[in-house]
Amino acid sequence: MARLSLVTRHTVLIVLALLALFPIGFLLINSVKTELAYSRDPLALPETFEWHHYSEAFDLIVRPILNSVVIVAISVLGIVTFAAMSAYAFTFMSFPLRRLLFALVFVLLLIPGVLTLIPLYLQIKRLDIFGLSNSWGGLILPYIAAGQAFSIFVLRTFFGGISKDLIDAARVDGASEWHIFGKIVVPLSVPVLVSVIVVNIVPLWNDYLLPSLLLSEKYRTLTIALVSLQGNALSHSSSQFGTLMAAYVIACVPLAIVFAFLMRYYVQGLTSGALKL
Amino acid sequence: MATTGATIKEAGHGGILSARSRDRLRRYLAAYVFLVPTFVFIGYFLYYPAYRALTGGFTFWDGFNAPEYIGLDNFRRAAEDQILRIATKNNLIWAAIEITLAIIPSFTVAALIFHVKRDGLRYLYRTLFVVPIIIPAIVTILLWRYYYQGDGLINVLLERVGLDRLTHFWIADPGTALYALALMGFPWVNAFNMLIFFAGLQNIPTEIMEAAELDGATGMRRLWTIEIPMVLAQFKLLLILAIITSGQNIVTPLVMTQGGPGYSTYTVSYYMYETAVEYGEFGYSMAIALLLFVFILVLTAINQRFIRD
Repeated sequence: MARLSLVTRHTVLIVLALLALFPIGFLLINSVKTELAYSRDPLALPETFEWHHYSEAFDLIVRPILNSVVIVAISVLGIVTFAAMSAYAFTFMSFPLRRLLFALVFVLLLIPGVLTLIPLYLQIKRLDIFGLSNSWGGLILPYIAAGQAFSIFVLRTFFGGISKDLIDAARVDGASEWHIFGKIVVPLSVPVLVSVIVVNIVPLWNDYLLPSLLLSEKYRTLTIALVSLQGNALSHSSSQFGTLMAAYVIACVPLAIVFAFLMRYYVQGLTSGALKL
Repeated sequence: MATTGATIKEAGHGGILSARSRDRLRRYLAAYVFLVPTFVFIGYFLYYPAYRALTGGFTFWDGFNAPEYIGLDNFRRAAEDQILRIATKNNLIWAAIEITLAIIPSFTVAALIFHVKRDGLRYLYRTLFVVPIIIPAIVTILLWRYYYQGDGLINVLLERVGLDRLTHFWIADPGTALYALALMGFPWVNAFNMLIFFAGLQNIPTEIMEAAELDGATGMRRLWTIEIPMVLAQFKLLLILAIITSGQNIVTPLVMTQGGPGYSTYTVSYYMYETAVEYGEFGYSMAIALLLFVFILVLTAINQRFIRD
């Protein structure tokens, strides 16, 4: 086979990149157009700028965005805290049943979420007595559980690279395990902890099924709000199309902010080799 | 050194054995304290639900009253169930497309970027392909619903290039709806998968790449003889993840078509979801979940067996 020329390769990459980025452009262009301009040509650049679509969309989804931000933020902090504690125990401490307990965590990677979705929903409903199932807690608690296996796995691989002598020396000096964990291991692991946080943010931010089963109107998340928004727009013909597109643009902003600052941690989290099974 | 220090310290407390075992017990306890939160969470929210799922299939269960054991009745019903049969066929077609699309475009892009010589340019390309991750998955689904509509983007584009006769009601026609859903997301470059492949390519020792270059192995030959074999571990991982994902297509049919038109976009997991959530038949729903789980497990095992690195 002939070798692909340099020009061909760059052309292919540029065309694919543009296609991959196309939805963002499509959303931006059509969010500021009038409905008429959209139906005339969805690809033409806007001639007028209907910025009011953005203020209308903002009013509609600001509350769900805040709900999602709070739920995801607390969840990922919970995930990384408890996963780091477990990874610490699995890496630096010896105790009976260590291998079995680790296997119990590892097996979770192979259980598809679809298997447990319905019983999980019923299980969360049982927390009604604490008033949890219809508030943020009904999502945060299962999310913390769901993030454990992957995060423990990645963190244990990283902790394994920390010098055991360092830990032992601290123990000889009389440092408690909490002290070693908090003052030595965590400070040495900040980049990988951030990576674990960022990698966990994406699926939680995107989750639709669990919130659709659980949350009442007041607590609904962004994904739920976006679907019901489209439902409303469809029933009123396409008269709210611009507002809808503006809502989708606004919905991209939180992850855009996260990735503007932390993209390299996401990339490192996936490319550090910690994921090699 | 460390051990002698510890022994002397213990000896100071008198009764070496008891002090040592007391110390050990304390260390065990400390370890379990570190593990308690994780195991409380996964026990309550993952293991117990998994247990309910695995045993629920053998029961009549309305989700409120205690499940009542009925043996294999649910599985007999599943064997006769025409909807489940259609859903299985749909799911297999969808999975074949989805798995191919999860692997090939992402690997192609990763390999192309990997061979870009200038670091800055390579970083730029990689960034460009990661950026679309900021679009919430649900927005992608909702957007494609617009693309596929009668007056949507696909038909507009077809008309514009003079292919009017190809315009179609893509998701309203049972003949095309399933394919439309499976092919959503063009050009299918997944940031996560692309980065995993990229990591695998970066891990190929430079000596091997240099030796290949000396032997004149470039382009396609290098791809087949070095790059693909060297990233087999990544292929395997992503294949397993794609298999698991393809068993979980609920949201796309739910949001785009409600499984329709007719049963044309029913997947097994969507049917499972509907059986429980819409009809309250939790026992039967869990039987379907169990069948799906076993099927995924078997595929994963086959994948593990036949692709070795």
